[in-house]
Amino acid sequence: MLLKRFCRIVPFFTLAVSLLQAAPNVEEGKSLFMANCASCHSRDMKTNLTGPALGGVEERWAAYPREDLYKWIRASQAMIQSGHPRAVELWNQWKPTLMNNFPGLTDDQIESILLYVNDVVNKAAAGSQASQSGQQVTAAQKDDSSFWIFVGIAVVLGLLSFALMRIVDNLQNLARVQAGQPPVRRTLGQMLTTKGSIAFGVFAATLIFGYKTVDNATRMGRQQGYQPEQPIAFSHALHAGTVKIDCQYCHDSARRSKHASIPGANTCMNCHTVVKKGAVSGTAEITKIYASIGYDPIANKYIPDYENWTEKQIEELYKKWIGQEYMADNGLVTLNDAGRMVVETQWEGIVKALKNDSNGKIQGPIEWVRIHNLADHAYFNHAQHVAVGQVACQQCHGPVEQMEEVYQYSTLGMGWCINCHRQTEVKFKDNDYYQQYARYHEELKSGKRDKVTVADIGGLECQKCHY
Amino acid sequence: MQHQDNGIWVSADDLNREETFLKSAEKEFLLEDLAEAPGSWTPSRRDFLKLMGFGLGAATVAASCEIPMRKAIPYVVKPDAIVPGVANYYASSFVNGSDYCAVLVKTREGRPIKIEGNTLSSVTAGGTSARAQALVLSLYDTRRLKHPGKIEEGGELKKLSWKDLDERIKGQLQLGGNIRIITHTIISPTAQKALSEFVAKYPNTRVVTYDPVSHAALLAANQACFGVRGIPTYKFAEADVIVSFGADFLGTWVSPIEHARAYASRRKIQSLDKPAMSRHYQVESHMSLTGSNADMRIQIRPSEMGAAICALYNEVAQYAGAPTISGPALNEKAKAGIKKAAADLISLRGRSLVVCGTNNVMEQIIVNKINDLLGNINNTIDFSVLNNLHQGDERDMMRLIGEMDAGQVAIAIVWGANPAYELPNADKFKAAFAKVNTRISFSGVMDETTALCTYAAPAHHLLESWGDAEPKTGHYSLIQPTIAPLFDTRQAELSLLEWAESPNLNREDEQPYYQYLKSHWATEMRAKQSKYSTGAAFWDMSLHDGVFEVPPTPRTVSFNPGISLNAASVTQPGSAPVEIAFYEAINIGNGQYAHNPWLQEMPDPVNRTVWGNYLSIPVEWDGNKKMTGWMGLQDGDKVEVEVNGKKHICTVVRTFGQTPGTVAIALGGGRESGGCGVGYGVNVNPWLPIEGGFIQYFAKEVKVSGKIGAEKNFACVQHHHTMGLAAKDEKSGQVINADEQVLAYQGSLTDRSIIFQAHVNDLPKLREKLADFHKHAGHLNEQTLYPDRTDFFGTGPKWGMFIDMNACIGCGACQVACVSENNVPVVGKNEVGRHHEMTWLRIDRYYYGDLDNPKVVYQPMMCQHCDNAPCENVCPVNATNHSAEGINQMAYNRCIGTRYCANNCPYKVRRFNWLDYTTADTFPANEERLFRVEEGDIPFYADNLVRMVLNPDVTVRSRGVIEKCSFCIQRIQEGKLTAKREGRPLEDNDVRSACQTACPTGAIVFGNLNNPNSAVSQAIRKHEELAYQVLEEINVRPGVRYSAKIYNS
Repeated sequence: MLLKRFCRIVPFFTLAVSLLQAAPNVEEGKSLFMANCASCHSRDMKTNLTGPALGGVEERWAAYPREDLYKWIRASQAMIQSGHPRAVELWNQWKPTLMNNFPGLTDDQIESILLYVNDVVNKAAAGSQASQSGQQVTAAQKDDSSFWIFVGIAVVLGLLSFALMRIVDNLQNLARVQAGQPPVRRTLGQMLTTKGSIAFGVFAATLIFGYKTVDNATRMGRQQGYQPEQPIAFSHALHAGTVKIDCQYCHDSARRSKHASIPGANTCMNCHTVVKKGAVSGTAEITKIYASIGYDPIANKYIPDYENWTEKQIEELYKKWIGQEYMADNGLVTLNDAGRMVVETQWEGIVKALKNDSNGKIQGPIEWVRIHNLADHAYFNHAQHVAVGQVACQQCHGPVEQMEEVYQYSTLGMGWCINCHRQTEVKFKDNDYYQQYARYHEELKSGKRDKVTVADIGGLECQKCHY
Repeated sequence: MQHQDNGIWVSADDLNREETFLKSAEKEFLLEDLAEAPGSWTPSRRDFLKLMGFGLGAATVAASCEIPMRKAIPYVVKPDAIVPGVANYYASSFVNGSDYCAVLVKTREGRPIKIEGNTLSSVTAGGTSARAQALVLSLYDTRRLKHPGKIEEGGELKKLSWKDLDERIKGQLQLGGNIRIITHTIISPTAQKALSEFVAKYPNTRVVTYDPVSHAALLAANQACFGVRGIPTYKFAEADVIVSFGADFLGTWVSPIEHARAYASRRKIQSLDKPAMSRHYQVESHMSLTGSNADMRIQIRPSEMGAAICALYNEVAQYAGAPTISGPALNEKAKAGIKKAAADLISLRGRSLVVCGTNNVMEQIIVNKINDLLGNINNTIDFSVLNNLHQGDERDMMRLIGEMDAGQVAIAIVWGANPAYELPNADKFKAAFAKVNTRISFSGVMDETTALCTYAAPAHHLLESWGDAEPKTGHYSLIQPTIAPLFDTRQAELSLLEWAESPNLNREDEQPYYQYLKSHWATEMRAKQSKYSTGAAFWDMSLHDGVFEVPPTPRTVSFNPGISLNAASVTQPGSAPVEIAFYEAINIGNGQYAHNPWLQEMPDPVNRTVWGNYLSIPVEWDGNKKMTGWMGLQDGDKVEVEVNGKKHICTVVRTFGQTPGTVAIALGGGRESGGCGVGYGVNVNPWLPIEGGFIQYFAKEVKVSGKIGAEKNFACVQHHHTMGLAAKDEKSGQVINADEQVLAYQGSLTDRSIIFQAHVNDLPKLREKLADFHKHAGHLNEQTLYPDRTDFFGTGPKWGMFIDMNACIGCGACQVACVSENNVPVVGKNEVGRHHEMTWLRIDRYYYGDLDNPKVVYQPMMCQHCDNAPCENVCPVNATNHSAEGINQMAYNRCIGTRYCANNCPYKVRRFNWLDYTTADTFPANEERLFRVEEGDIPFYADNLVRMVLNPDVTVRSRGVIEKCSFCIQRIQEGKLTAKREGRPLEDNDVRSACQTACPTGAIVFGNLNNPNSAVSQAIRKHEELAYQVLEEINVRPGVRYSAKIYNS
């Protein structure tokens, strides 16, 4: 609780700090940054591109007079030649890349840029903390033991209702005796066959039947709109939408296999050895990939005997990394309380996302929650649709490139499949495979037929999908 | 009476204006009357509907809230070679003692699930056997030993780490006592090297090799006659006449897969004008698989084998001018047969072949001499390429028993062998073995011998191992693992090297034996070729191909003139009224495969029994229109059998072709420990006599009691799923059920077109007969109500099959392949006894010809995918219907289990899931009855380990649905997709059914009938005049065609 409250306060606190500093030229800083710096320096201030990430630049130059930083920005090469220690250090780190000279920038303008840099960094930090606390709230533990509690309650209620029936009977008999009539005693069987009992039975049966029907339909993948929480807040909107990575870059088996398959962590690492922090989530999510595969983001290398690492070792490494980045982002030299909180929260996120129930290890695959669960008795082949039919992924999966969190877009019902097979035209002329459908080719030529649909070549037959 | 104004009334009550009437008129619905005793709830209909509506709504909401979470778990680092959902094939070898097959192992997501033949091998050439097909299942055996350990009293395995075990064993080895390693034949050059390193380190080691079924006399005879202790290559493809003295060369003898292909190449009718068919004589007492394929079976008693061989020798010698010998007397009928065979052999000398399966050295020598006189040596019998599959000598084993008994052996290591079960004198072995101080077993299961050992060092399963093989001279073959070891096991070779403290072993390496193997190949094998200049290229290509073959150096041998033929040393005919023959079972061998349920449930090709070994008894004519079993015995009757003072209770099965006065029983039954085969059949190994050091596979005297009972769950599939054979008794006009009345003597009594057969010389007549038949059937079929569906099937592919019954030898490889490919459940003996076997493909065995000594035709029978399918019309839910590609489809989820389709199927190929054989549904109530649950078994496929063998592309069927052959629809779809993705027309190789790829003889051809150039279209065209459809006259228009069976007697 305390943690949560604290996490909520942190963004306000940081915002306040930035407001105090803020002279009203952040806007100017932004336009200057975009015009002069953005081609080499990352806009998120956290990622190294051609030039280093600018987040925390002030702390890195804090040991030197402010003028040195101005000088560096205006004419870095001259400064390197003059032997300024920080300048030389940077050169050694980044050579042979050189920074352009910006002699026209005034001190005020440079201050504006620096203000903008800090602004971006702070906003990002606030965002990542907010998302962390959000995740905490939704993290509800499921408990299977409630089943037996329910059974117990049901039994107690059953006994109770039986006792009540008896009491009602007795009272009525009392009334009867008082009225001079003979008492009637109902047997258990009679009690159970009263209209009320039968109605209750029917009601219960309806309830169970309805539940089972829906439940089984769900099990067969009939769960349109299903949007489970994933271990990593992976955003398709960012990757497929903004950055425009091709679907099949990650889901590479879609064109050659029945499964589209979830990419292995090594595919993530193709980019994330460079992109080490997310624009929104910072280190919170990407570090999970590192913890899964065993990548040391500080030393920029894979850990050779990662399988044998203890949880303690893993914790140490990634906490160090998260802390270090936090300090860099916030311009801190030592980790403050807020930072420690971020580190703790993010580490908890890693544990929650990766810890394997069966072997208790952090290392190993990321266990995603499967969204599309086609029934076992239906055979579906991605390659057929993607490579041969050239169906766009979006046709079945919906606007994934706009989805922050993926959900099941289509029904995955048989009617839905059949409908598409009825309407979709086969790419008949471009593929030599279809040469064997001589009659259709003739009919197309003679104009007797204007198209060949999937249904025409047997797309509605049972054993195209059920075998 | 008082007058009323309104003038109408409804009742006396109305007229009386009684209170009740007035009260009821007041209200439309008199609820009080409906109500029960006060106090109970009295809902209105509306309330009820409200409640139901609420209930359903609430249930829906409740159910939707709780979606079961399913995970999608990707690789951490995805291996390059694996694409989930796409199978990988790895070239490897199936090697088990005397069995060899070059194979491709199909793996899905790292699990081996299917065996295919490797076409690059010139030994097996893509063919497989049932045993090879069943290999994958044994990998997932729940009874495999899971770790090394010390075997306590009572056979319990107490876990030890490999390090502990190594230390203890090395400690024992270094004490310097005599060490003996007991093995079956080892054909691996690298394993031999490992063995020799071990022997070098511990010089007091001797390797003792024997085979589960001995070929030692053949080896000894070849050593004597030709100076080569080896088995030559028999060129069945070049033999115009084949005479086999009890050698089951198509089923079990020497190298059956190789023989089958060569043999079948001369049984297929290449052209009607010039059939070029070989002629095959088989001399035997019981009908073996090979005998059932023979043109002429010469029936003898087992003890007359020597006499028969001598008789043939004398015929040939007379012709060749060699001295004759005076062999024992032979029965007259056999003598005539031998004379005929001799005439053929002599007229086709140099292009003939005489083989002998007995374990008597002199008989083998005489057979060698016959071949020599006929000029077959270096011709059809080639010594330049030797067959290495049998190198064992049981005399060595007998010596070892003596040594052990005398306490001269300190350490015994058992590698792949199971002498406590396999040896005739297993009792002696056990007693002597107990005197060995340290007894180590490499066995993967707790078999009879391992249970007697002190340490278990379980070896990997073959599919987890590295290795190599040299089945024939210069034919090398690699074994590569296709799955990481499932349990804490270690390769036997590695254990030996470890114990020998081999300096050639890189213990730092992750897979030391892999490196050892690789370096052996780099030094030894690489030098044998010049194609690849670098070692890496050579290794990679060899591993990719799975085989590496060196052209043979021709070697001719000549018969040692110093050998004298001594007729006294051949088997002398016995005088007892009944003799017994023992034979190796096609499926379970001498028990090596008894723990494989796929093989146990594969019927014996000839007597068609499953799960056990049964006593074959002759069928006799009772002189009154009835064929009865010997002594009036019926199938499934129990008798007490006594051989050599040892008694067993056996179940009998009446078998045609069994020589009168003889009985026969297969080896391999009655296993006592190690797996699911325990308790099925009887162990007949103790009955085998040993003569001159050689195990004999017959006994001259057997006592068979009368019926002492009947087996409750007798499981013989012969009468299951027969195609409704019925015929009329000519005299009484009564319709008789051919199945029951004539003991499965099908074919001859029926006028339904199931089998057509003819002598090779009668081909023109057959051609006419078939033409007439087609005309007749065509005429019948024209009178049809079915619509013309030419258009429906006319465009796109249409799948069909052609089965050459002259090439089908009945070996059953296709059946096991089908089981493996299509997740066909194993049902167990009880269920088979109740006609509930689930096999999609059965091999029907029909007899024809002479009642006493009939010929056999095998007919693989699966769903015929009829264009006018009778099953489709009767399905009330349209669960089975037809595709435009000519496939009779089965939608399991639509099936409600009426079984109308099965009832209406003329071919009886539809199978019903009577019980939950696969535990696919949620009713566990049936499981107990399936397997012997009371004995701690769980139903087959219920265990997650066993389920790893399932093909993920094929639905596992649940209880209550019908299933049947789908023409391997999953392969069709896969093949079509491959062609589509590559944007090219479909080719034959894209789609091959599982039965087709498994067949060692190429009897099954599958493909697209609409493509005139496809292999199946060509095969049908080629055999047009011999081809027919089964039950063609009933207008179901099946998609499978068969060729008529031709014989050459």
